[in-house]
Amino acid sequence: MAASRLALGAGLVLAVIYPILLQLGGYPFYQTIGFLVLLNAMLGIGWNVIGGWTGQFDFGPQVFFAVGAYVAALLFIHVGLSPWLGMPVAVLVAMLVCAVVTYPLTRLRGHYFAISTVAIWMIAQPIGATWEFINGSRGLFIPVETGQSTLRSIASLQFAGRTKALGYYYAALGLFLLALALVRLVERSKLGFYFRAIRDDQEGAEGIGIDSRLYKVIARCITAGVFAAGGVLYGFWALAVFPEQVLDLNWSTLPMMATVVGGIGRLWGPVLGAVILIPISQIMSTTLGTGPLAGRGIDLIVYGLIIILIAALRPTGLLSLPWSRWFRRPA
Amino acid sequence: MSPLLELRAVTKRFGGLIANKDVSFSIGTGEIVGLIGPNGAGKTTLFNCITGYMHPEDGQILLGGVDITNAHPARVCGHGIARTWQLVRTFGRMTVLENVICGALKRTNRVGEARARAMSLLEFSGLAAKAGMAAANLTLADKKRLEIARALATEPRMLLLDEAMSGLTPTETAEAVQLVRRIHSELGVALCVVEHVMEVVMPLSQRVIVLEYGQKLVEGPPQEIVRNEQVIKAYLGEHRRDRH
Repeated sequence: MAASRLALGAGLVLAVIYPILLQLGGYPFYQTIGFLVLLNAMLGIGWNVIGGWTGQFDFGPQVFFAVGAYVAALLFIHVGLSPWLGMPVAVLVAMLVCAVVTYPLTRLRGHYFAISTVAIWMIAQPIGATWEFINGSRGLFIPVETGQSTLRSIASLQFAGRTKALGYYYAALGLFLLALALVRLVERSKLGFYFRAIRDDQEGAEGIGIDSRLYKVIARCITAGVFAAGGVLYGFWALAVFPEQVLDLNWSTLPMMATVVGGIGRLWGPVLGAVILIPISQIMSTTLGTGPLAGRGIDLIVYGLIIILIAALRPTGLLSLPWSRWFRRPA
Repeated sequence: MSPLLELRAVTKRFGGLIANKDVSFSIGTGEIVGLIGPNGAGKTTLFNCITGYMHPEDGQILLGGVDITNAHPARVCGHGIARTWQLVRTFGRMTVLENVICGALKRTNRVGEARARAMSLLEFSGLAAKAGMAAANLTLADKKRLEIARALATEPRMLLLDEAMSGLTPTETAEAVQLVRRIHSELGVALCVVEHVMEVVMPLSQRVIVLEYGQKLVEGPPQEIVRNEQVIKAYLGEHRRDRH
Protein backbone atom coordinates (compact mmCIF):
# COMPACT_ATOMS: atom_id res chain seq x y z
CA MET A 1 0.00 0.00 0.00
CA ALA A 2 2.75 2.41 0.96
CA ALA A 3 4.73 1.43 -2.15
CA SER A 4 1.82 2.13 -4.47
CA ARG A 5 1.24 5.50 -2.83
CA LEU A 6 4.91 6.32 -3.29
CA ALA A 7 4.68 5.34 -6.97
CA LEU A 8 1.59 7.53 -7.36
CA GLY A 9 3.24 10.53 -5.73
CA ALA A 10 6.37 10.14 -7.82
CA GLY A 11 4.27 9.77 -10.97
CA LEU A 12 2.31 12.92 -10.22
CA VAL A 13 5.44 14.99 -9.47
CA LEU A 14 7.02 13.72 -12.69
CA ALA A 15 3.86 14.45 -14.68
CA VAL A 16 3.84 18.05 -13.41
CA ILE A 17 7.57 18.79 -13.67
CA TYR A 18 8.91 17.00 -16.77
CA PRO A 19 7.38 19.30 -19.41
CA ILE A 20 8.93 22.33 -17.70
CA LEU A 21 12.36 20.74 -17.89
CA LEU A 22 11.75 19.98 -21.56
CA GLN A 23 10.61 23.55 -22.11
CA LEU A 24 13.92 24.79 -20.74
CA GLY A 25 15.79 22.24 -22.85
CA GLY A 26 13.75 23.07 -25.93
CA TYR A 27 12.21 19.69 -26.80
CA PRO A 28 8.49 20.47 -27.18
CA PHE A 29 7.95 17.27 -29.20
CA TYR A 30 8.15 15.22 -26.01
CA GLN A 31 5.53 17.45 -24.43
CA THR A 32 3.20 16.54 -27.29
CA ILE A 33 3.83 12.87 -26.56
CA GLY A 34 2.85 13.58 -22.96
CA PHE A 35 -0.29 15.30 -24.23
CA LEU A 36 -1.21 12.25 -26.31
CA VAL A 37 -0.45 9.88 -23.41
CA LEU A 38 -2.78 11.83 -21.11
CA LEU A 39 -5.49 12.16 -23.76
CA ASN A 40 -5.45 8.42 -24.50
CA ALA A 41 -5.20 7.52 -20.81
CA MET A 42 -8.25 9.68 -20.17
CA LEU A 43 -10.17 8.05 -23.03
CA GLY A 44 -9.10 4.63 -21.71
CA ILE A 45 -10.46 5.50 -18.27
CA GLY A 46 -13.74 6.37 -19.95
CA TRP A 47 -13.78 3.22 -22.08
CA ASN A 48 -13.09 1.10 -19.00
CA VAL A 49 -16.54 2.02 -17.63
CA ILE A 50 -18.47 0.31 -20.44
CA GLY A 51 -15.79 -2.18 -21.53
CA GLY A 52 -14.09 -3.07 -18.27
CA TRP A 53 -16.65 -2.79 -15.51
CA THR A 54 -19.84 -3.39 -17.45
CA GLY A 55 -18.14 -5.92 -19.73
CA GLN A 56 -19.70 -4.65 -22.97
CA PHE A 57 -17.10 -4.16 -25.71
CA ASP A 58 -17.64 -0.79 -27.31
CA PHE A 59 -15.87 -0.15 -30.62
CA GLY A 60 -17.69 3.07 -31.36
CA PRO A 61 -17.00 5.66 -28.65
CA GLN A 62 -15.15 7.81 -31.22
CA VAL A 63 -18.66 8.88 -32.31
CA PHE A 64 -18.97 10.78 -29.02
CA PHE A 65 -15.40 12.04 -29.34
CA ALA A 66 -16.57 13.60 -32.62
CA VAL A 67 -19.82 14.92 -31.12
CA GLY A 68 -17.80 16.62 -28.39
CA ALA A 69 -15.32 18.16 -30.82
CA TYR A 70 -18.06 19.45 -33.14
CA VAL A 71 -20.34 20.87 -30.44
CA ALA A 72 -17.57 22.86 -28.77
CA ALA A 73 -16.16 24.05 -32.12
CA LEU A 74 -19.59 25.16 -33.37
CA LEU A 75 -20.32 26.98 -30.11
CA PHE A 76 -16.97 28.75 -30.32
CA ILE A 77 -17.29 29.69 -34.01
CA HIS A 78 -20.95 30.77 -34.00
CA VAL A 79 -21.56 32.01 -30.47
CA GLY A 80 -18.02 32.75 -29.32
CA LEU A 81 -18.48 30.52 -26.31
CA SER A 82 -15.26 29.61 -24.50
CA PRO A 83 -14.37 25.93 -24.94
CA TRP A 84 -14.27 25.53 -21.16
CA LEU A 85 -17.97 26.45 -21.11
CA GLY A 86 -18.56 24.61 -24.37
CA MET A 87 -17.11 21.44 -22.87
CA PRO A 88 -19.92 20.74 -20.37
CA VAL A 89 -22.45 21.47 -23.11
CA ALA A 90 -20.60 19.10 -25.46
CA VAL A 91 -20.46 16.42 -22.78
CA LEU A 92 -24.21 16.73 -22.15
CA VAL A 93 -25.06 16.59 -25.85
CA ALA A 94 -22.83 13.53 -26.33
CA MET A 95 -24.43 11.77 -23.35
CA LEU A 96 -27.89 12.53 -24.71
CA VAL A 97 -27.00 11.24 -28.18
CA CYS A 98 -25.44 8.20 -26.54
CA ALA A 99 -28.55 7.45 -24.50
CA VAL A 100 -30.78 7.65 -27.58
CA VAL A 101 -28.62 5.45 -29.83
CA THR A 102 -27.55 3.00 -27.12
CA TYR A 103 -30.91 2.13 -25.59
CA PRO A 104 -32.01 -0.02 -28.55
CA LEU A 105 -28.57 -1.70 -28.65
CA THR A 106 -28.84 -2.90 -25.05
CA ARG A 107 -31.17 -5.67 -26.17
CA LEU A 108 -28.00 -7.21 -27.60
CA ARG A 109 -25.03 -8.53 -25.69
CA GLY A 110 -21.54 -9.89 -26.23
CA HIS A 111 -20.34 -9.90 -29.85
CA TYR A 112 -23.66 -8.57 -31.07
CA PHE A 113 -23.46 -5.49 -28.89
CA ALA A 114 -19.88 -4.91 -30.06
CA ILE A 115 -20.87 -5.20 -33.74
CA SER A 116 -23.78 -2.83 -33.25
CA THR A 117 -21.47 -0.15 -31.79
CA VAL A 118 -19.36 -0.47 -34.96
CA ALA A 119 -22.52 -0.07 -37.02
CA ILE A 120 -23.39 3.18 -35.23
CA TRP A 121 -19.90 4.45 -36.00
CA MET A 122 -20.32 3.51 -39.69
CA ILE A 123 -23.59 5.41 -39.81
CA ALA A 124 -21.90 8.44 -38.21
CA GLN A 125 -19.17 8.61 -40.89
CA PRO A 126 -21.31 9.60 -43.92
CA ILE A 127 -23.29 11.97 -41.68
CA GLY A 128 -20.06 13.69 -40.64
CA ALA A 129 -18.84 13.83 -44.24
CA THR A 130 -22.02 15.21 -45.80
CA TRP A 131 -23.98 17.22 -43.24
CA GLU A 132 -23.80 20.85 -44.41
CA PHE A 133 -24.50 22.29 -40.96
CA ILE A 134 -21.11 21.04 -39.78
CA ASN A 135 -19.50 21.81 -43.15
CA GLY A 136 -19.36 18.19 -44.34
CA SER A 137 -15.98 16.80 -45.32
CA ARG A 138 -14.49 20.32 -45.52
CA GLY A 139 -14.57 20.35 -41.73
CA LEU A 140 -14.54 23.25 -39.31
CA PHE A 141 -11.60 25.54 -38.66
CA ILE A 142 -11.25 27.11 -35.29
CA PRO A 143 -10.17 30.73 -35.70
CA VAL A 144 -6.86 31.42 -33.95
CA GLU A 145 -6.73 34.33 -31.57
CA THR A 146 -3.13 35.47 -31.69
CA GLY A 147 -1.12 37.70 -29.41
CA GLN A 148 -3.11 36.96 -26.29
CA SER A 149 -2.04 37.17 -22.72
CA THR A 150 -1.38 33.89 -20.91
CA LEU A 151 -4.60 34.22 -18.94
CA ARG A 152 -6.65 34.74 -22.08
CA SER A 153 -5.08 31.76 -23.79
CA ILE A 154 -5.93 29.61 -20.81
CA ALA A 155 -9.50 30.92 -20.84
CA SER A 156 -9.96 30.24 -24.55
CA LEU A 157 -7.94 26.98 -24.55
CA GLN A 158 -5.76 28.39 -27.33
CA PHE A 159 -2.05 28.15 -26.95
CA ALA A 160 0.31 29.16 -29.72
CA GLY A 161 4.02 29.57 -30.42
CA ARG A 162 6.69 28.26 -28.11
CA THR A 163 4.35 27.42 -25.23
CA LYS A 164 1.68 25.68 -27.34
CA ALA A 165 2.69 22.11 -26.46
CA LEU A 166 3.17 23.07 -22.80
CA GLY A 167 -0.27 24.69 -22.51
CA TYR A 168 -2.13 21.75 -24.03
CA TYR A 169 -0.14 19.34 -21.91
CA TYR A 170 -1.37 20.94 -18.70
CA ALA A 171 -4.92 21.23 -20.04
CA ALA A 172 -4.81 17.48 -20.75
CA LEU A 173 -3.34 16.78 -17.31
CA GLY A 174 -6.19 18.68 -15.66
CA LEU A 175 -8.88 16.89 -17.65
CA PHE A 176 -7.17 13.55 -17.10
CA LEU A 177 -7.15 14.05 -13.32
CA LEU A 178 -10.79 15.15 -13.39
CA ALA A 179 -11.82 12.05 -15.38
CA LEU A 180 -9.80 9.83 -13.06
CA ALA A 181 -11.42 11.32 -9.95
CA LEU A 182 -14.96 11.12 -11.35
CA VAL A 183 -14.62 7.55 -12.61
CA ARG A 184 -13.07 6.54 -9.28
CA LEU A 185 -16.17 7.94 -7.59
CA VAL A 186 -18.40 5.97 -9.97
CA GLU A 187 -16.41 2.78 -9.39
CA ARG A 188 -17.01 2.92 -5.65
CA SER A 189 -20.66 3.88 -5.84
CA LYS A 190 -23.79 1.81 -6.40
CA LEU A 191 -23.17 2.22 -10.15
CA GLY A 192 -19.79 0.49 -9.95
CA PHE A 193 -21.30 -2.51 -8.15
CA TYR A 194 -24.20 -2.74 -10.59
CA PHE A 195 -21.94 -2.47 -13.65
CA ARG A 196 -19.75 -5.34 -12.45
CA ALA A 197 -22.79 -7.43 -11.52
CA ILE A 198 -24.08 -7.11 -15.10
CA ARG A 199 -20.64 -8.05 -16.44
CA ASP A 200 -20.40 -11.19 -14.28
CA ASP A 201 -23.94 -12.47 -14.82
CA GLN A 202 -26.67 -10.47 -16.47
CA GLU A 203 -29.57 -12.76 -15.47
CA GLY A 204 -28.24 -12.96 -11.94
CA ALA A 205 -28.07 -9.16 -11.83
CA GLU A 206 -31.64 -8.78 -13.05
CA GLY A 207 -32.75 -11.27 -10.41
CA ILE A 208 -31.58 -8.95 -7.64
CA GLY A 209 -33.40 -6.04 -9.18
CA ILE A 210 -30.83 -4.52 -11.54
CA ASP A 211 -32.37 -3.15 -14.72
CA SER A 212 -29.55 -4.27 -17.01
CA ARG A 213 -30.63 -2.17 -20.00
CA LEU A 214 -30.84 1.03 -17.95
CA TYR A 215 -27.45 0.51 -16.32
CA LYS A 216 -25.76 -0.39 -19.62
CA VAL A 217 -27.05 2.90 -21.03
CA ILE A 218 -25.77 4.79 -17.96
CA ALA A 219 -22.35 3.12 -18.27
CA ARG A 220 -22.01 3.97 -21.95
CA CYS A 221 -23.17 7.55 -21.31
CA ILE A 222 -20.33 7.98 -18.79
CA THR A 223 -17.93 6.64 -21.42
CA ALA A 224 -19.45 9.01 -23.97
CA GLY A 225 -19.05 11.98 -21.62
CA VAL A 226 -15.34 11.33 -21.14
CA PHE A 227 -14.83 10.88 -24.89
CA ALA A 228 -16.70 14.12 -25.61
CA ALA A 229 -14.45 16.06 -23.22
CA GLY A 230 -11.43 14.49 -24.94
CA GLY A 231 -12.87 15.48 -28.31
CA VAL A 232 -13.17 19.13 -27.23
CA LEU A 233 -9.54 19.16 -26.13
CA TYR A 234 -8.38 17.49 -29.33
CA GLY A 235 -10.37 19.86 -31.56
CA PHE A 236 -8.84 22.96 -29.98
CA TRP A 237 -5.39 21.40 -30.03
CA ALA A 238 -5.72 20.61 -33.76
CA LEU A 239 -7.51 23.95 -34.38
CA ALA A 240 -9.79 22.07 -36.75
CA VAL A 241 -12.45 19.40 -36.70
CA PHE A 242 -12.51 17.07 -39.72
CA PRO A 243 -14.95 14.17 -39.82
CA GLU A 244 -12.36 11.56 -40.86
CA GLN A 245 -10.01 12.78 -38.14
CA VAL A 246 -12.34 12.87 -35.14
CA LEU A 247 -14.15 9.71 -36.28
CA ASP A 248 -10.85 7.84 -36.73
CA LEU A 249 -11.02 4.27 -35.46
CA ASN A 250 -7.80 4.88 -33.51
CA TRP A 251 -9.74 6.98 -30.99
CA SER A 252 -11.31 3.77 -29.76
CA THR A 253 -8.61 1.17 -30.50
CA LEU A 254 -5.72 3.00 -28.79
CA PRO A 255 -7.55 3.65 -25.50
CA MET A 256 -8.97 0.13 -25.65
CA MET A 257 -5.53 -1.43 -26.18
CA ALA A 258 -4.07 0.71 -23.43
CA THR A 259 -6.81 -0.54 -21.11
CA VAL A 260 -6.28 -4.18 -22.01
CA VAL A 261 -2.48 -3.95 -21.72
CA GLY A 262 -2.59 -2.13 -18.37
CA GLY A 263 -5.46 -4.07 -16.83
CA ILE A 264 -9.09 -4.13 -17.93
CA GLY A 265 -11.57 -3.27 -15.20
CA ARG A 266 -8.90 -1.60 -13.06
CA LEU A 267 -8.97 2.14 -12.54
CA TRP A 268 -5.25 2.63 -13.25
CA GLY A 269 -5.08 0.01 -16.03
CA PRO A 270 -5.56 2.38 -18.96
CA VAL A 271 -3.16 4.89 -17.39
CA LEU A 272 -0.32 2.36 -17.22
CA GLY A 273 -1.20 1.07 -20.69
CA ALA A 274 -1.14 4.55 -22.24
CA VAL A 275 2.17 5.41 -20.54
CA ILE A 276 3.71 2.30 -22.13
CA LEU A 277 2.06 2.17 -25.54
CA ILE A 278 1.69 5.76 -26.72
CA PRO A 279 5.38 6.80 -26.40
CA ILE A 280 6.43 3.56 -28.13
CA SER A 281 4.22 4.25 -31.10
CA GLN A 282 5.13 7.94 -31.26
CA ILE A 283 8.86 7.51 -30.89
CA MET A 284 8.98 4.58 -33.29
CA SER A 285 6.93 6.28 -35.94
CA THR A 286 9.30 9.28 -35.86
CA THR A 287 12.60 7.37 -35.62
CA LEU A 288 11.90 4.31 -37.74
CA GLY A 289 9.43 6.20 -39.86
CA THR A 290 12.10 8.43 -41.38
CA GLY A 291 14.94 5.91 -41.71
CA PRO A 292 15.63 3.38 -44.45
CA LEU A 293 12.55 1.47 -43.44
CA ALA A 294 10.34 4.50 -43.86
CA GLY A 295 6.81 3.91 -44.99
CA ARG A 296 6.90 0.19 -44.26
CA GLY A 297 4.81 0.40 -41.11
CA ILE A 298 7.55 -1.12 -38.93
CA ASP A 299 6.31 0.86 -35.95
CA LEU A 300 2.87 -0.71 -36.26
CA ILE A 301 4.39 -4.22 -36.46
CA VAL A 302 6.47 -3.74 -33.30
CA TYR A 303 3.44 -2.18 -31.63
CA GLY A 304 1.30 -5.15 -32.57
CA LEU A 305 3.92 -7.59 -31.28
CA ILE A 306 3.98 -5.92 -27.86
CA ILE A 307 0.23 -6.18 -27.62
CA ILE A 308 0.24 -9.85 -28.71
CA LEU A 309 2.93 -10.64 -26.12
CA ILE A 310 1.05 -9.02 -23.25
CA ALA A 311 -2.28 -10.48 -24.34
CA ALA A 312 -0.73 -13.98 -24.51
CA LEU A 313 1.38 -13.86 -21.35
CA ARG A 314 -0.79 -11.72 -19.06
CA PRO A 315 -4.31 -11.37 -20.47
CA THR A 316 -5.53 -9.70 -17.29
CA GLY A 317 -3.07 -6.85 -17.85
CA LEU A 318 0.18 -5.64 -16.35
CA LEU A 319 -1.48 -4.24 -13.21
CA SER A 320 -2.62 -7.75 -12.31
CA LEU A 321 1.00 -8.88 -11.83
CA PRO A 322 1.86 -9.52 -8.16
CA TRP A 323 3.47 -6.09 -7.68
CA SER A 324 2.73 -5.93 -3.97
CA ARG A 325 4.60 -9.20 -3.40
CA TRP A 326 7.63 -7.97 -5.35
CA PHE A 327 7.80 -4.62 -3.59
CA ARG A 328 7.00 -5.78 -0.08
CA ARG A 329 9.63 -4.78 2.41
CA PRO A 330 11.43 -7.79 3.87
CA ALA A 331 10.16 -8.35 7.42
CA MET B 1 -57.00 -10.87 2.75
CA SER B 2 -55.48 -11.64 -0.63
CA PRO B 3 -52.66 -14.21 -0.69
CA LEU B 4 -49.06 -13.10 -1.16
CA LEU B 5 -48.59 -14.82 -4.52
CA GLU B 6 -51.47 -15.88 -6.71
CA LEU B 7 -51.35 -17.67 -10.07
CA ARG B 8 -54.52 -17.68 -12.13
CA ALA B 9 -54.66 -20.20 -14.99
CA VAL B 10 -51.08 -19.51 -16.14
CA THR B 11 -50.27 -21.01 -19.54
CA LYS B 12 -46.85 -20.88 -21.17
CA ARG B 13 -46.16 -22.32 -24.62
CA PHE B 14 -42.94 -22.71 -26.59
CA GLY B 15 -44.28 -22.96 -30.11
CA GLY B 16 -46.35 -26.16 -30.11
CA LEU B 17 -45.00 -27.34 -26.79
CA ILE B 18 -47.06 -26.49 -23.75
CA ALA B 19 -44.76 -26.01 -20.76
CA ASN B 20 -47.42 -24.86 -18.30
CA LYS B 21 -51.15 -25.23 -18.75
CA ASP B 22 -53.80 -23.53 -16.61
CA VAL B 23 -51.69 -23.60 -13.49
CA SER B 24 -53.44 -21.95 -10.56
CA PHE B 25 -52.36 -21.83 -6.97
CA SER B 26 -51.61 -19.34 -4.27
CA ILE B 27 -49.04 -18.99 -1.52
CA GLY B 28 -49.74 -17.09 1.68
CA THR B 29 -47.48 -14.88 3.76
CA GLY B 30 -44.98 -16.90 5.76
CA GLU B 31 -45.73 -20.24 4.09
CA ILE B 32 -43.25 -22.86 2.91
CA VAL B 33 -44.55 -24.53 -0.22
CA GLY B 34 -42.84 -27.35 -2.09
CA LEU B 35 -43.16 -27.51 -5.87
CA ILE B 36 -42.36 -30.97 -7.17
CA GLY B 37 -42.77 -32.98 -10.33
CA PRO B 38 -40.83 -35.29 -12.62
CA ASN B 39 -38.19 -33.96 -15.04
CA GLY B 40 -39.69 -31.65 -17.64
CA ALA B 41 -42.87 -31.07 -15.66
CA GLY B 42 -42.47 -27.30 -16.09
CA LYS B 43 -41.25 -26.29 -12.64
CA THR B 44 -38.42 -24.04 -13.81
CA THR B 45 -40.56 -22.52 -16.57
CA LEU B 46 -43.14 -21.63 -13.95
CA PHE B 47 -40.40 -20.03 -11.84
CA ASN B 48 -39.25 -18.04 -14.85
CA CYS B 49 -42.79 -16.82 -15.46
CA ILE B 50 -43.28 -15.77 -11.85
CA THR B 51 -39.95 -13.90 -11.75
CA GLY B 52 -40.41 -12.14 -15.09
CA TYR B 53 -37.77 -13.95 -17.14
CA MET B 54 -40.60 -15.33 -19.28
CA HIS B 55 -44.11 -14.10 -19.79
CA PRO B 56 -47.09 -16.45 -19.95
CA GLU B 57 -49.38 -16.41 -22.99
CA ASP B 58 -52.44 -16.69 -20.80
CA GLY B 59 -53.39 -16.18 -17.19
CA GLN B 60 -52.34 -13.78 -14.49
CA ILE B 61 -49.70 -13.62 -11.78
CA LEU B 62 -50.43 -11.39 -8.81
CA LEU B 63 -48.13 -10.43 -5.96
CA GLY B 64 -49.99 -8.98 -2.99
CA GLY B 65 -52.82 -8.11 -5.36
CA VAL B 66 -50.50 -6.33 -7.86
CA ASP B 67 -50.41 -7.75 -11.39
CA ILE B 68 -46.83 -8.72 -12.24
CA THR B 69 -47.65 -10.94 -15.22
CA ASN B 70 -45.66 -8.89 -17.72
CA ALA B 71 -43.20 -7.16 -15.40
CA HIS B 72 -39.49 -7.60 -16.16
CA PRO B 73 -37.24 -9.36 -13.60
CA ALA B 74 -35.83 -6.20 -12.01
CA ARG B 75 -39.35 -4.92 -11.30
CA VAL B 76 -40.51 -8.26 -9.94
CA CYS B 77 -37.60 -8.12 -7.51
CA GLY B 78 -38.63 -4.62 -6.52
CA HIS B 79 -42.09 -5.92 -5.69
CA GLY B 80 -40.56 -8.41 -3.29
CA ILE B 81 -39.84 -11.72 -5.02
CA ALA B 82 -36.26 -12.99 -5.03
CA ARG B 83 -34.97 -16.22 -6.50
CA THR B 84 -32.01 -18.52 -6.86
CA TRP B 85 -31.02 -20.61 -9.85
CA GLN B 86 -30.66 -24.30 -10.53
CA LEU B 87 -27.30 -23.53 -12.16
CA VAL B 88 -25.70 -20.94 -9.90
CA ARG B 89 -25.37 -17.37 -11.10
CA THR B 90 -22.97 -15.86 -8.60
CA PHE B 91 -20.85 -12.87 -9.67
CA GLY B 92 -17.61 -14.82 -10.00
CA ARG B 93 -15.13 -11.95 -10.25
CA MET B 94 -16.53 -10.12 -7.25
CA THR B 95 -15.90 -11.09 -3.65
CA VAL B 96 -18.50 -12.90 -1.57
CA LEU B 97 -19.24 -9.69 0.33
CA GLU B 98 -19.54 -7.63 -2.87
CA ASN B 99 -22.05 -10.14 -4.25
CA VAL B 100 -24.34 -9.56 -1.30
CA ILE B 101 -23.74 -5.78 -1.36
CA CYS B 102 -25.16 -5.79 -4.91
CA GLY B 103 -28.33 -7.34 -3.53
CA ALA B 104 -28.56 -4.93 -0.60
CA LEU B 105 -28.23 -1.93 -2.96
CA LYS B 106 -31.78 -2.68 -4.13
CA ARG B 107 -33.05 -1.01 -0.94
CA THR B 108 -30.46 1.71 -0.42
CA ASN B 109 -28.22 3.91 -2.54
CA ARG B 110 -25.48 4.13 0.07
CA VAL B 111 -22.72 1.55 -0.30
CA GLY B 112 -21.75 1.79 3.38
CA GLU B 113 -25.26 0.94 4.51
CA ALA B 114 -25.46 -1.92 1.99
CA ARG B 115 -22.11 -3.26 3.22
CA ALA B 116 -23.32 -3.42 6.84
CA ARG B 117 -26.52 -5.15 5.80
CA ALA B 118 -24.58 -7.58 3.58
CA MET B 119 -22.19 -8.43 6.40
CA SER B 120 -25.04 -9.29 8.76
CA LEU B 121 -26.58 -11.54 6.10
CA LEU B 122 -23.24 -13.28 5.57
CA GLU B 123 -23.20 -14.01 9.28
CA PHE B 124 -26.78 -15.25 9.11
CA SER B 125 -25.92 -17.64 6.28
CA GLY B 126 -22.60 -18.77 7.71
CA LEU B 127 -20.38 -17.22 5.04
CA ALA B 128 -18.84 -14.42 7.10
CA ALA B 129 -15.43 -16.12 7.24
CA LYS B 130 -15.31 -16.20 3.43
CA ALA B 131 -16.41 -12.58 2.88
CA GLY B 132 -13.18 -11.58 1.13
CA MET B 133 -12.93 -14.60 -1.18
CA ALA B 134 -13.64 -14.36 -4.90
CA ALA B 135 -17.05 -15.92 -5.42
CA ALA B 136 -15.70 -18.06 -8.27
CA ASN B 137 -13.50 -19.96 -5.80
CA LEU B 138 -16.33 -21.11 -3.54
CA THR B 139 -17.60 -24.71 -3.45
CA LEU B 140 -20.96 -25.40 -5.06
CA ALA B 141 -22.67 -25.60 -1.66
CA ASP B 142 -21.24 -22.20 -0.68
CA LYS B 143 -22.18 -20.66 -4.04
CA LYS B 144 -25.79 -21.77 -3.52
CA ARG B 145 -25.65 -20.38 0.02
CA LEU B 146 -24.24 -17.10 -1.35
CA GLU B 147 -27.06 -16.87 -3.88
CA ILE B 148 -29.56 -17.22 -1.06
CA ALA B 149 -27.81 -14.50 0.99
CA ARG B 150 -27.68 -12.21 -2.06
CA ALA B 151 -31.38 -12.79 -2.76
CA LEU B 152 -32.26 -12.12 0.89
CA ALA B 153 -30.35 -8.85 0.73
CA THR B 154 -33.02 -7.47 -1.61
CA GLU B 155 -35.44 -7.84 1.33
CA PRO B 156 -37.97 -10.07 -0.40
CA ARG B 157 -41.39 -11.04 0.91
CA MET B 158 -41.00 -14.34 -0.85
CA LEU B 159 -38.02 -16.41 -1.91
CA LEU B 160 -38.12 -18.93 -4.75
CA LEU B 161 -35.46 -21.62 -4.49
CA ASP B 162 -34.80 -23.55 -7.69
CA GLU B 163 -33.15 -26.82 -6.63
CA ALA B 164 -31.03 -25.13 -3.98
CA MET B 165 -29.97 -28.55 -2.71
CA SER B 166 -29.29 -30.50 -5.89
CA GLY B 167 -25.70 -31.63 -6.31
CA LEU B 168 -24.90 -31.28 -2.61
CA THR B 169 -23.53 -33.98 -0.29
CA PRO B 170 -25.88 -35.28 2.44
CA THR B 171 -24.13 -33.11 5.06
CA GLU B 172 -24.33 -30.00 2.88
CA THR B 173 -27.99 -30.75 2.15
CA ALA B 174 -28.76 -30.96 5.85
CA GLU B 175 -27.06 -27.60 6.41
CA ALA B 176 -28.99 -26.05 3.52
CA VAL B 177 -32.29 -27.35 4.91
CA GLN B 178 -31.32 -25.81 8.25
CA LEU B 179 -30.71 -22.45 6.53
CA VAL B 180 -34.07 -22.59 4.73
CA ARG B 181 -35.86 -23.29 8.01
CA ARG B 182 -34.13 -20.31 9.64
CA ILE B 183 -35.07 -18.03 6.74
CA HIS B 184 -38.65 -19.01 7.38
CA SER B 185 -38.65 -18.82 11.16
CA GLU B 186 -36.25 -15.92 11.82
CA LEU B 187 -36.83 -13.68 8.81
CA GLY B 188 -40.45 -14.56 8.18
CA VAL B 189 -39.95 -14.83 4.43
CA ALA B 190 -42.37 -17.03 2.50
CA LEU B 191 -40.69 -19.78 0.48
CA CYS B 192 -41.46 -21.73 -2.62
CA VAL B 193 -39.05 -24.62 -2.99
CA VAL B 194 -38.50 -26.57 -6.20
CA GLU B 195 -36.77 -29.81 -5.42
CA HIS B 196 -36.22 -33.21 -6.96
CA VAL B 197 -35.33 -34.99 -3.78
CA MET B 198 -38.52 -36.04 -2.00
CA GLU B 199 -36.74 -36.62 1.30
CA VAL B 200 -35.86 -32.92 1.33
CA VAL B 201 -39.15 -31.35 0.27
CA MET B 202 -41.56 -33.46 2.26
CA PRO B 203 -40.34 -32.70 5.79
CA LEU B 204 -39.66 -29.05 4.87
CA SER B 205 -42.93 -28.06 3.23
CA GLN B 206 -46.21 -27.20 4.86
CA ARG B 207 -47.95 -27.76 1.55
CA VAL B 208 -46.84 -29.47 -1.65
CA ILE B 209 -47.89 -28.75 -5.22
CA VAL B 210 -47.25 -31.48 -7.81
CA LEU B 211 -46.80 -30.61 -11.48
CA GLU B 212 -46.94 -33.15 -14.29
CA TYR B 213 -46.78 -32.40 -18.03
CA GLY B 214 -47.11 -28.71 -17.23
CA GLN B 215 -50.35 -29.09 -15.31
CA LYS B 216 -51.09 -29.07 -11.63
CA LEU B 217 -51.73 -32.67 -10.63
CA VAL B 218 -52.57 -32.30 -6.96
CA GLU B 219 -51.84 -30.03 -4.04
CA GLY B 220 -52.01 -30.75 -0.34
CA PRO B 221 -50.08 -31.42 2.85
CA PRO B 222 -47.01 -33.66 2.38
CA GLN B 223 -48.50 -36.64 4.27
CA GLU B 224 -51.34 -36.82 1.75
CA ILE B 225 -49.12 -36.25 -1.28
CA VAL B 226 -46.87 -39.22 -0.55
CA ARG B 227 -49.91 -41.51 -0.40
CA ASN B 228 -51.61 -40.06 -3.47
CA GLU B 229 -52.14 -42.63 -6.23
CA GLN B 230 -51.71 -40.07 -9.04
CA VAL B 231 -48.44 -38.82 -7.65
CA ILE B 232 -47.06 -42.31 -7.26
CA LYS B 233 -48.04 -43.04 -10.85
CA ALA B 234 -46.43 -39.84 -12.09
CA TYR B 235 -43.16 -40.62 -10.38
CA LEU B 236 -42.99 -44.40 -10.73
CA GLY B 237 -45.01 -45.05 -13.84
CA GLU B 238 -48.28 -46.89 -14.41
CA HIS B 239 -47.07 -50.49 -14.53
CA ARG B 240 -44.27 -50.38 -12.02
CA ARG B 241 -46.54 -50.99 -9.04
CA ASP B 242 -48.22 -54.01 -10.60
CA ARG B 243 -44.94 -55.83 -10.99
CA HIS B 244 -44.01 -55.51 -7.33
